[in-house]
Amino acid sequence: MDDALKDGILAAAHPGSLPWGGTGLVLDVEQVADLAARHDVPGCEIEALALELDVTPTRYLRNRQSVSPKDQILLLRSRVAQVGLGGLGGALLEQLLRLGVGTLRTADGDIFEASNLNRQSLSTLSGLGRGKTRAAKLRAAEINPSATLETRPEFLTPETLPKFLEGCTVVVDALGGLTMRGHLQKAAAAASIPLVTGALAGWTGYVAVVMPGQIGPADLMGTDNGGEELLGCPAPAVNLAASLMASEVFNILTGQPTLAGKMLVTDLRSHTFETVSL
Amino acid sequence: MGIEIKSFATLAKYLPENGQDYPIEPGETVRSLITKLGIPEKDVTLVFINALRSSLDSEIADGDRVGLFPPVGGG
Repeated sequence: MDDALKDGILAAAHPGSLPWGGTGLVLDVEQVADLAARHDVPGCEIEALALELDVTPTRYLRNRQSVSPKDQILLLRSRVAQVGLGGLGGALLEQLLRLGVGTLRTADGDIFEASNLNRQSLSTLSGLGRGKTRAAKLRAAEINPSATLETRPEFLTPETLPKFLEGCTVVVDALGGLTMRGHLQKAAAAASIPLVTGALAGWTGYVAVVMPGQIGPADLMGTDNGGEELLGCPAPAVNLAASLMASEVFNILTGQPTLAGKMLVTDLRSHTFETVSL
Repeated sequence: MGIEIKSFATLAKYLPENGQDYPIEPGETVRSLITKLGIPEKDVTLVFINALRSSLDSEIADGDRVGLFPPVGGG
């Protein structure tokens, strides 16, 4: 580690009380931003270096007993690709930013319209007509400027997917509809990275992890759009699927996914939760 | 003792009232079951019996839990 940076972090840190008892060195969000600007290093790297010095960024104090410093450092130095910033994508963006994934690369060519307000957490009345990637940028700046958010305001195609996935550890399928999901699964397999996928229609949803070469939901569901055209996607079902997907991203980045080769099927009307082996 | 049927999303409307304990006949398959329930074959993309992916030709036995899933892709 750069000595000036190390000294800077230790000088900016201060003793604070720790949620699990006692006191320890913590680093406030303003100090992270200041060090990042002065040393021209992303905030997420300042936070990772701080953790290596046994200094806890205040932002992550309340996660420390659920996310070990070692795992938090892994998250801060990881790069996740996410296709789609709609219902699933908006909720995933929020969770991955708050979890502290250091670099997120996202793509969506769509703009917000009023019919998105029922579920898409990045959609707001004042933001109707705004590009979804633009809204993602604004939200990320509000909640976690330490993360690096890369945005592509376009609909990816089978031709542009491979480059989009380059350098990423895992890819998240937050697409709407079935037409592109198979292409994304193939591109993830070609890039040799795990795919976290999920979809829903009405109160029914599913989440799966597809390891390279494995069968996945896209192989079963066809390419015509599904029941969502009729049933829509209510917010609780969207957010449940997004939470399950975000937790599998965490599990992959820090160890083992629980849903590799499986599909967790959920229904919020009957409160059915069933893990199916594919 | 019959079988338990779980039908999801657009297939929920086909669930019979006795779907928790639905009687089957000897040699019943998923295909014959969905025909009885009035579900078009093309609407079933995923079948699972006791949490294992199965096919339309899979046989069903008393006590099985049968899941029927249509195309779902919303996000």
